[in-house]
Amino acid sequence: MSLALQLLVNGLVSGGLLGVAALGVALIFGVMRVVNFAHGEFITLGAYATWLLVSQLHLSPLVGLPVAFVLGGLVGVVVQAVVLSRVTGRPELDVLMVTYALSVLGLGLFAQGFGGDFRSYAEGPRGNLDIAGAIIGWRSLTVLLACVAMSGATLLVIQRTRLGLGLRALAQNRDSAATCGINVISAERLAFGLASGLAAAAGCLVSMIGTTTPNVGHDLVLDAFVVVILGGMGSISGALVGALALGLVQSVVGYALDDSWSRMVAYLLLYLIILLRPQGLFGRAAA
Amino acid sequence: MSDAMIARAAPRTARRADTLGLVVATIALAGLGIALPALGVSGYVRTLVYYGAFYLALGQAWNIMSGLTGYLSFAHGALSGIGAYGLVIAMNADWPMGASLAAAGGAAVLASLVIGATSLRLRGAAFTFATLFFQELMLLAVRKLPFAGGPGGLVLEQILPEWIAYVGMILLAAVATIGFALIRRSRLGIRVLAIKGDEDAAASVGIAATRLKLILFCVSALVAGLAGAVHALFTASLYPDVAFSVDLSLIALAVPLIGGVATASGPALGALLYVGLRELLQLFAPSAHLTILGLLLLAVVLFMRDGIGPTLARLLRWAR
Repeated sequence: MSLALQLLVNGLVSGGLLGVAALGVALIFGVMRVVNFAHGEFITLGAYATWLLVSQLHLSPLVGLPVAFVLGGLVGVVVQAVVLSRVTGRPELDVLMVTYALSVLGLGLFAQGFGGDFRSYAEGPRGNLDIAGAIIGWRSLTVLLACVAMSGATLLVIQRTRLGLGLRALAQNRDSAATCGINVISAERLAFGLASGLAAAAGCLVSMIGTTTPNVGHDLVLDAFVVVILGGMGSISGALVGALALGLVQSVVGYALDDSWSRMVAYLLLYLIILLRPQGLFGRAAA
Repeated sequence: MSDAMIARAAPRTARRADTLGLVVATIALAGLGIALPALGVSGYVRTLVYYGAFYLALGQAWNIMSGLTGYLSFAHGALSGIGAYGLVIAMNADWPMGASLAAAGGAAVLASLVIGATSLRLRGAAFTFATLFFQELMLLAVRKLPFAGGPGGLVLEQILPEWIAYVGMILLAAVATIGFALIRRSRLGIRVLAIKGDEDAAASVGIAATRLKLILFCVSALVAGLAGAVHALFTASLYPDVAFSVDLSLIALAVPLIGGVATASGPALGALLYVGLRELLQLFAPSAHLTILGLLLLAVVLFMRDGIGPTLARLLRWAR
């Protein structure tokens, strides 16, 4: 029983992180119709920013959360304005190539700036909580709560505000949205900035419970892509449900076999979805 | 104006002359490359020529699929890795070299059928995702497979003279380049360019898009698999992290994109530039490799859509 509880909590923590990463991928795809291969590099950005705050300025890693969000958001807006806005309307190959080139550039910059070392720190929440025999670190709990709060806030913004209404309209039909007076250019910039900020904030959490390397975000986003395809490209609630499901499956497989099997299971799942239900579990079939 | 229309609009004789010129130039360059050791060049130059040929073969393999159809593949590194492992496993089982090369190419084609059959009937990014995850999956799987040596890799037991891989890679690169030019000129090539231009319109005039894409992907995988196999003859030892490295997939797409995508001569220029760039970076900025490559790809896609070659040609015409 305590083992099941332990696996459940571990699955929820990794599923929560995956959910925040997938949320951004789905938001960008829904609003801009862009598959952002560089999403993982924003996660890495947040992770290194937090590591710097903790190791250089001796601040709590929790300070990293808002700092990473703002930093990631700003970099995202700049990248969207300077690079991605140039390829809107170009063939899909060009758009994919641009986000891929951005990802390569990001990987290169992080590898150059920080080397291949594994970075971690001991600051921040510590100690364990014992619930019915399952040991839950305060760190993991903090990460889980932060993920729930961030996903909840994003869903609120998208479902309940005028801004979210605009984004949803844009995702449904670009031309009609533009005709109704939605400023497509600034809405896209905002969506990309918001998604990048969320990714960087997720990166802060990643640095708290794991080690930071130049590839840390890249690897997480591969799983996030699986989740986004599972939930239906562009469906935000689908991505969140998919992330929790994959997090739980990976937690069980990782315990029963090992970590690389749990990654292989995720990737094989992707082939199954593409083969059997390409529109995703919750997506509508393409017209 | 789409590529297909341009290909149609050019007079048949002019196209034929272009292709003939390319074939002659490719054979001449390949002959020169093969003759270099006899002319007494240093081992360093030979290695550079060899790597140029390796990258050109990988680049043409990518060009045959992604250049012609517009479906972006991230799996060409993994396909070449499959070829490499196929060759070493076959040769260590005492198969003759010809049969081992056939097995290596066959294994890569089989893999491409698996990726293609799941994803090529779909539009958009499905194929790109399928290739991206195939690359990751292969690396994880090969580390686990006992007959592939696990994380420690494999060693080619037979010791072969160095010239076999050298000549083999130059021949492969030349055949791939000529093959690309012939495919592009053929009815198949024109139909595929029509798919790239507008898949719905192509399908409506009776082009079997999925089948054609799958055929091209198999041809492309064959070339990538053979390139990996010949490279395994060159290195004689395989490590999963090297043979299935994402870097190879990156090179396979960077070479044609930098030189000129969907052209036969573009990847040759791309391979030349890439080898030169790699050497310069190793001398002056060894850690900046990915950064520079990312910037270069970004610049090419944003500002030089048809690659550096055609852009330079346009600049020269404009300057005159």
